[in-house]
Amino acid sequence: MTKKKNNIFNRAVLAAMVAVTAHFAHAQNPAPAAPQTKPIVLTGATIHTGNGQVIENGVIAFDKGIITQVGPAGSGNTSGAEVIDVKGKHIFPGIISLNTTVGIQEIASVRATLDFNEIGEINPHIRSLVAYNTDSEVIPTLRGNGILLSQAVPQGGIVSGSSSVFYTDGWNWEDAVLKKDDGIWINWPSFLARSFNFEDFSVTMKRNEKRQEVIDKFSGVFADAKAYADLKDPSPINLRLAAMKPLFNGSANLYIRADYAKDIVESVKFAKAAGVQKIVIVGGDESYKVAAFLKENQIPVVLNPTHRLPGRVDENVYLPYELPGLLHKAGVKVAVTYADEWWRTRNLAFLAGTSSGFGNISSEEALQFITRNAAEIIGADKQIGTLEKGKHASFLVSQGDILDMRGNDVEMVFIKGGKVNLDDKQKRLYEKYKDKYGKK
Amino acid sequence: MIRRLSTVMAFLTVSVLSYGQETFPRNGAYDERSGRYAFTNANIVVDSKTTIQNGTLLIENGLIKEVNKQVKIPSGTVVIDLKGKYIYPSLIDLDSDYGMPDVKTERRAGGGRATPQLESNKKGAFGWNQAIQPENEAATLFTPDARKAEDLRKIGFGTVLSHSHDGIVRGSGALLTLTDESANKAIINGKASSHFSFSKGTSTQTYPSSGMGIVALLRQNYYDADWYGKSGKTQEKNLSLDAFNSLKGLPSIFETNDKYSVLRADKIGDEFGIQYIIRGGGDEYQRLDEIKATKAPLILPLQFPEAYDVADPWDADLVSITQLKHWELAPKNASEVAKASIPFAFTIAGIKNKGDFWKNLRTAIEYGLPKEKALEALTSVPASLIKAEGQVGSLKAGLLANFLITSTDLFSKDNIIYENWVQGKKFIVAPLNATDIRGTYALSINNQPTGKIQISGTVEKPEYKVILQDTVKITLKAVLTNELLTITYQPDKKRQENVRLTGWFTGKGLTGEGVLPNGNVVPWSASLSEKYTATAPKDSAAKKLAETGKIVYPFTGFGNEELPKAETVLIKNATVWTNEKEGILQGTDVLVQNGKIAKIGKSLSAPSGAKTVDGTGKHLTTGIIDEHSHIALFTINEGGQTSSAEVRMSDVINPDDVNIYRQLAGGVTTSHLLHGSANSIGGQSALIKLKWGANQSEMLIPQAKTIKFALGENVKQSNWGDVARVRFPQTRMGVEQVFYDHFIRAKEYAQNWKTFNAKKTGTAPRRDLELDALAEILASERFITCHSYVQSEINMLMSVADSLKFKINTFTHILEGYKLADKMQERGIGGSTFADWWAYKMEVKEAIPYNAALMYHEGVTVAINSDDAEMARRLNQEAAKTVTYGGVPEEDAWKMVTLNPAKLLRVDDKLGSVKAGKDADLVLWNANPLSVYARPEFTMIEGTVYFDRKKDEDKQKTMAVERERLIQKMLSDKAEGKPTQRPQGAQPRMWHCEDIVGVHAEHAEEK
Repeated sequence: MTKKKNNIFNRAVLAAMVAVTAHFAHAQNPAPAAPQTKPIVLTGATIHTGNGQVIENGVIAFDKGIITQVGPAGSGNTSGAEVIDVKGKHIFPGIISLNTTVGIQEIASVRATLDFNEIGEINPHIRSLVAYNTDSEVIPTLRGNGILLSQAVPQGGIVSGSSSVFYTDGWNWEDAVLKKDDGIWINWPSFLARSFNFEDFSVTMKRNEKRQEVIDKFSGVFADAKAYADLKDPSPINLRLAAMKPLFNGSANLYIRADYAKDIVESVKFAKAAGVQKIVIVGGDESYKVAAFLKENQIPVVLNPTHRLPGRVDENVYLPYELPGLLHKAGVKVAVTYADEWWRTRNLAFLAGTSSGFGNISSEEALQFITRNAAEIIGADKQIGTLEKGKHASFLVSQGDILDMRGNDVEMVFIKGGKVNLDDKQKRLYEKYKDKYGKK
Repeated sequence: MIRRLSTVMAFLTVSVLSYGQETFPRNGAYDERSGRYAFTNANIVVDSKTTIQNGTLLIENGLIKEVNKQVKIPSGTVVIDLKGKYIYPSLIDLDSDYGMPDVKTERRAGGGRATPQLESNKKGAFGWNQAIQPENEAATLFTPDARKAEDLRKIGFGTVLSHSHDGIVRGSGALLTLTDESANKAIINGKASSHFSFSKGTSTQTYPSSGMGIVALLRQNYYDADWYGKSGKTQEKNLSLDAFNSLKGLPSIFETNDKYSVLRADKIGDEFGIQYIIRGGGDEYQRLDEIKATKAPLILPLQFPEAYDVADPWDADLVSITQLKHWELAPKNASEVAKASIPFAFTIAGIKNKGDFWKNLRTAIEYGLPKEKALEALTSVPASLIKAEGQVGSLKAGLLANFLITSTDLFSKDNIIYENWVQGKKFIVAPLNATDIRGTYALSINNQPTGKIQISGTVEKPEYKVILQDTVKITLKAVLTNELLTITYQPDKKRQENVRLTGWFTGKGLTGEGVLPNGNVVPWSASLSEKYTATAPKDSAAKKLAETGKIVYPFTGFGNEELPKAETVLIKNATVWTNEKEGILQGTDVLVQNGKIAKIGKSLSAPSGAKTVDGTGKHLTTGIIDEHSHIALFTINEGGQTSSAEVRMSDVINPDDVNIYRQLAGGVTTSHLLHGSANSIGGQSALIKLKWGANQSEMLIPQAKTIKFALGENVKQSNWGDVARVRFPQTRMGVEQVFYDHFIRAKEYAQNWKTFNAKKTGTAPRRDLELDALAEILASERFITCHSYVQSEINMLMSVADSLKFKINTFTHILEGYKLADKMQERGIGGSTFADWWAYKMEVKEAIPYNAALMYHEGVTVAINSDDAEMARRLNQEAAKTVTYGGVPEEDAWKMVTLNPAKLLRVDDKLGSVKAGKDADLVLWNANPLSVYARPEFTMIEGTVYFDRKKDEDKQKTMAVERERLIQKMLSDKAEGKPTQRPQGAQPRMWHCEDIVGVHAEHAEEK
């Protein structure tokens, strides 16, 4: 076996663990990475750039948090740089986890730790930005598996609020945020309604008779918001409508949660007619049925967890696994996510891996579902998503294939050039009990 | 009394024949009559096998005196000539609620979780459970219902077995006629039957809250009644058990609603030597062999599903192939049951619109049900099932004069029921000798030829048309009563003027008086010019047996027409993960024969008839065993009590669950089906093999005797809201005492039995199914799988077990097992855990993905389980995480989803490794099974391939074809104007162990 996570800690952490009493100082997440102070060059790795390219025995150089060179062995300038030999390892762009509640949800059964669901129906002014807790114990488990960016998304209501995208390392939200208020999230009323029968515990699905009511509400609020956006000096000031202004000038996405084919078509047509510039479908269980429509309208899809069961009893057993590949092949830009299953998010790379294993696509294509495509969807592809000169030096070094449990063993993480401490509470508990049992 | 008399008086005014009750005083002169009638020249259908052509039926005093070709008719008999007409025994329904009080089920406000009600709300010296009501007597509850009786008589029913449809044990049924007279007259057997169901009815008591709890309660009730009858009654009074014992020996009727509950009911009967008559749900054809094997007579409904509106292809996707196929095949059910020689009766119960009864029955006949069987199912069979063949069900001398007079064959589309005689009393449904006035008449008004009147339709319901001189056809309004006729018509629609005629039938034509729109009173007449001739029915197509698709097993889209069979297979040149000391063998052959692994080696030769599979570049492993699963179950939690050790998951196995197939597609071959974690002592688990299409007993591995326990937040109900602050325990402190209390009682119980069995004198202890299960644990015959999270409670249970000298077999979930791995190892307790779950509630806050590795390194037998129908289909990926987190060698990581669970379930003598002699439960993977890119090429159980990647792809195509065939058929139905319903589908259910009383936790975090 190759070197495993059980011995990947850097020496500083181990030293700290020995020095400090176990149950006191360890309750905290480790300190965020210090800013990059000098140029660094990594050599000898297989570099997966995220745009389909694989560079064997490659070189990646970065300075002041920005990539200065990605290329084959021997390329780039190493003078004055710290050169780290990572021969045989694999380098991937930082994984981007969209559509999550990480940072705004900690322990499901403890209400005090839940900050993702505001009351009220129309909440475009509600922002996850300010509630994002960089001290969440979930966050280090993400970066430990290579997830370097996380989008925190309000749930609930019919207009849930505004999301922001954060690095998974930082002292506070202001420090960690990459993209503020990147989009507004709405819950399109589902074409089908579930009803639970307490008599025989069955769930029946039938047409949702109340949906038009919700659509009418959307029509009202979007029309008002568009009109409001035209005002130079609105009075009275309306926080809700003001928050929607970026939807009409293309500076923020409209994320529409819609799963059924009819919902997707209808909601996209609605949003376009309402003057929304950038539309993203989220959920998208049946998006494969309307792939041509999505391609034609250039609507990307952010899928809910594809480690799920088929939606209907007669559906192809593997359809959820194949779904990202089906969309990709049809020319639709697709990202895979863990949605509100926040504590499972560390497995995001395996969703992509499964989509390759069970779909007709390569692992390099699948990698894009959690890197390049995600970056493009949130409009941050100038900074992140692929390993290219001029982008943020935010990437990871793994023992092997990051998409496979057999290779996903993250040894080093750089965020904007800073080397991130990969320790977390779970690893400390592991060490503590290894000590107890005298196993080293 | 006064009310009663006035009611009787009311009847007297409308009926010819009436009987008073001997003991009742009369108001006025006695009016007793002999009620002697002779029906002559009739085709008398005595029963399905005997028809007397042109015979005579003689009745007197409400009974049949004689039926024969020639009957000597005594003087003083009313003789009715029925030339050409038919007499049938009237129909019998065994599942009626006629005359019973309404059963109103209280709906829990908002559904879902409510404050538990631990005791029965029924006051008095009754049993402890509100759903057990043997003391309910239909005869006592019965009040005649004139309107309902008339409705049923019109359809042709004369006798019903009625009972209160409320509860699991429902008490006695009464055999009632549908007379309009007093209850005293109508009840012909006050205690005819005993009734059961799987529904709690109006009971608001929390226990039982699940299918298996209901079964357990019923079982326990039989044992309690037995004990009470022998010795218990000297200690306490229990009116329910008294009543239960008094009903013993009566025909017992069990109401169910689907094929698997039919089987479940019969299984209970088998345990207590009772053959229930089972009221089915109409899907018996889907498991006919198993249902035949029960030997249970059936009562079948005649309700068929309506077609779905499938015009929109996306909407239609909601309707499953199961629903489509059942729509097509449900009318064939009775025919299939009849073909299998299963005795059955029909019931009208379940038909929403009672008027559809004959239509549906005729549909069943069109689908191949022989008419004789249909007649038997409504007459002789129900009569004999309730031992009433001496009273009703045929037209033999001495039986009640309950019969129908009809125009023709009872099942013919044109048949008319004229009269329904109940206990010798006539009830008119349609006029018996209505004059046939049909034909074409020349109409003359005021002696001027005005046109023609055409009368067609049926004798009883003629249809009228007027054809005026200018050949304009006008439908006219006509009322015919006793040969008096009223006609109105508008000669010119635009003018809206009516011609009004009144008249009578003269034998040759019509004549009478009319008033014209101008007010002139004129004579009119119509003379018959042409007799009516019936046009031949054009529905010759209906004569042809309706064609249907094939029945598949299980009855779902992914089902098979033919079940796959075990094969001799040689897998060549594969990488074989043996799970034995040989380790992972490269380039190795494995031979499968007779369901077992026959040989493992290099260059094996294929026996004749063997199928050879090239395993080059592929990995062959034993099938995945999921130690913690809730698939293929109808319910999960019996949360009504702190201990539900008496319930058995084997009672609620659902072989139709598509998750079985999906998990085969993920390489799973065996699943340990656990009770949920709603209570400290859960239920008895079931270990099944995922034999897709097989029945419950074929899937079950009976030697695995396990039981679910649980600790922590669920059993103390911390996350169920403030309504759940009633049931003990509410703290981890209380949980300990639950175990002490129950096990100490179980010890005493076992000792009492031991003492009794040694002496065999005195009274036997009361058999207690809950304590039986716990005593089995104490005797090391049943093994505990305990849901557990934090170290304190795990430590607690280990210490309770130590002090009471029982063994804990497995801690499941065990997310803090890493903190106590040494203690578990010392005691030989296994750990079956998740690879990386945490954070969904407080007690999993310290869960770490290194848990499995730490326990493994400490020498604990570790399994990785799913508790989740989705994750179960990629348990290989979950096992791989133990390599990532904590460095478990790949070979040992793989054992965590195969050999180790087999060990924990004590079936590793047969399962869990690739070894000669073990069951051939094998999976061929396209890659290293621990890789995210690995997928099964096939999954085999005991040499039978239940999942094959290629066949799965083909199946999707054939499913699409079958679906489209059915949709086209439905669309034709819609085009013919048959009623349709909006598409609706059942959502596949995903159970987790925290799904309380089946209420699915909607949030992933509550797993």
